[in-house]
Amino acid sequence: MSEVQRRKYSQEEKNAIFDGEFMPHIDSMYNFGYRLTFDGDDAKDLVQDTYLKAYRFINSFEQGTNAKAWLFRILKNSFINEYRKKSKQPTKVDYQEVETYYNSDDVHYQSTSDLRAESVKDMLGDEISNALNSLAVDFRTVIILCDLEGFTYEEMAKILDIPIGTVRSRLHRARNLLKEKLQGYAQNMGYKTDADEENID
Amino acid sequence: MNEEKSGDRKMKCGDESKCFELLESILDGELQDSSKEVLSEKLAKCQPCFEHYHLEQAIRDVLKTKCTKQAVPTELADLIRQQIQDIK
Ligand SMILES: [Zn+2]
Repeated sequence: MSEVQRRKYSQEEKNAIFDGEFMPHIDSMYNFGYRLTFDGDDAKDLVQDTYLKAYRFINSFEQGTNAKAWLFRILKNSFINEYRKKSKQPTKVDYQEVETYYNSDDVHYQSTSDLRAESVKDMLGDEISNALNSLAVDFRTVIILCDLEGFTYEEMAKILDIPIGTVRSRLHRARNLLKEKLQGYAQNMGYKTDADEENID
Repeated sequence: MNEEKSGDRKMKCGDESKCFELLESILDGELQDSSKEVLSEKLAKCQPCFEHYHLEQAIRDVLKTKCTKQAVPTELADLIRQQIQDIK
């Protein structure tokens, strides 16, 4: 088996993999790039860059495995290695923020908001998107991968090069941060939260 | 979903941290089979678990269905194919 996998693809096979397994994900790839950079041109560059790399290293792609996860990993690495270096954004802040968060304690799962399911359901797409976009990139990324793209914890661990336990805890924290943002919107918009019922301002 | 009454449920969770971790893993599709029974029992007996589960479910639903999507620039696919042609 492994000898078969290690052989190099013929030109026809390369074309078939590229068109059949890689290109269908261009929509998800572009949106991932856009949600990382908030910029159409940067997203375009990231996607082009990713597909060129994917073609160049196509022999290291095992046919029949998850092409989407493989492509997402390349895009994520391109983003970290190239885009983040070039951009003027203070990238270290994100990491530090994440780091102190992680080192603070073991994850203790708890409810951190009075937000109600009903208020969340009433929220607009813009509110949800804004809340997501306001998260630090590492937290934003896990939510994009899990909730928007439907990757499993295991796939996410591979895409992000982190242990599954870290995926789980980072997701939990990301969603708690998201809930805090949404709760802020809910209170401004007059949606009901438990806190409102206890003390009416 | 229609079970809004909380009368039969205890108001304090015995182990919130463990329960919530389990509920969130189930919602993320990471636990199947046996977890279904555990889930329905928890939701029937524990109010904090019940509320947490529905909130977490709502968050996942709106993220999945309501987040604004960008349309891929029409020329992007052709641009990529062109670049691939060049390096072939
Ligand atoms: Zn409970």
